Amino acid sequence: MSDELIVVGTFLISYGVIVGYAAYLHLRRRRAGN
Amino acid sequence: MTRVRVLLAIAAVAMGVGLWFALTAPTDTLQGEFTRIINIHAPSMWLAFLAFGMTALGSAIWLIRKQSRWDRLAEASAELGVMFTAIGLFSGMVWGQAVWGRAWDWGDPRLSTTAVMFFVYIGYLALRAATPDPTVRARRSAILGVIAVVQVPLVYFSVNMFRTLHQTQSIRPDGITMPREMAIAIFVNVIAFTIVYIALLFARIDVAKAEERAAADIALAGDAVKPPRLSEVKDV
Repeated sequence: MSDELIVVGTFLISYGVIVGYAAYLHLRRRRAGN
Repeated sequence: MTRVRVLLAIAAVAMGVGLWFALTAPTDTLQGEFTRIINIHAPSMWLAFLAFGMTALGSAIWLIRKQSRWDRLAEASAELGVMFTAIGLFSGMVWGQAVWGRAWDWGDPRLSTTAVMFFVYIGYLALRAATPDPTVRARRSAILGVIAVVQVPLVYFSVNMFRTLHQTQSIRPDGITMPREMAIAIFVNVIAFTIVYIALLFARIDVAKAEERAAADIALAGDAVKPPRLSEVKDV
């Protein structure tokens, strides 16, 4: 696997965790309502 | 548009700017493209320290004032601290595998103290999840939140106290031991990650407030609508 691909993958996973957590909070907020 | 949405939009832009700096900063001759990982690794670990510090602060103020807002701050910040530590550990392991030739070494104090800190804060969240009563939960987690923060200076100074695999700090009060462009990229990413932290902190506190209101509504409805007892149902 090329160095660039590993670095891009690391960025994607790390940023993905942050975006995923934000999406999870959005869903929890919607489920709680009010 | 709510305050949380505005903050999340600013955070998304900040992340984009941070990514641009990370991908355009110069690379180290020996590390090559892997140099760029430091732009995720260092900011996420810094934010983990800040988040756990905020958890300790919220916990300490809760112990004095007993106001639920400080418990919510401690909880939200601990959750974010765990997330940033996970990103820091993951990105560090990828970098370590490429540059050191190994992803993990239990003999390295920086790595092992970070792992212990990570698991202690997962324990903090587990303790909260295992305690249903809000006041008992707040008290127990506040005590742990105040005690657990001693790990932050331990992790930070572990590289100075025991020199093994992990390098010492590159950005110190007495100077910066890396090219200016690289340091600027890291600095921009620290700012971007801080904005992300603030936005997600408010979003998480907002969720906690909404869930508390929903739980109070269910409790009220529970008082009003009681299921009939079998002994009261005569025509069965």
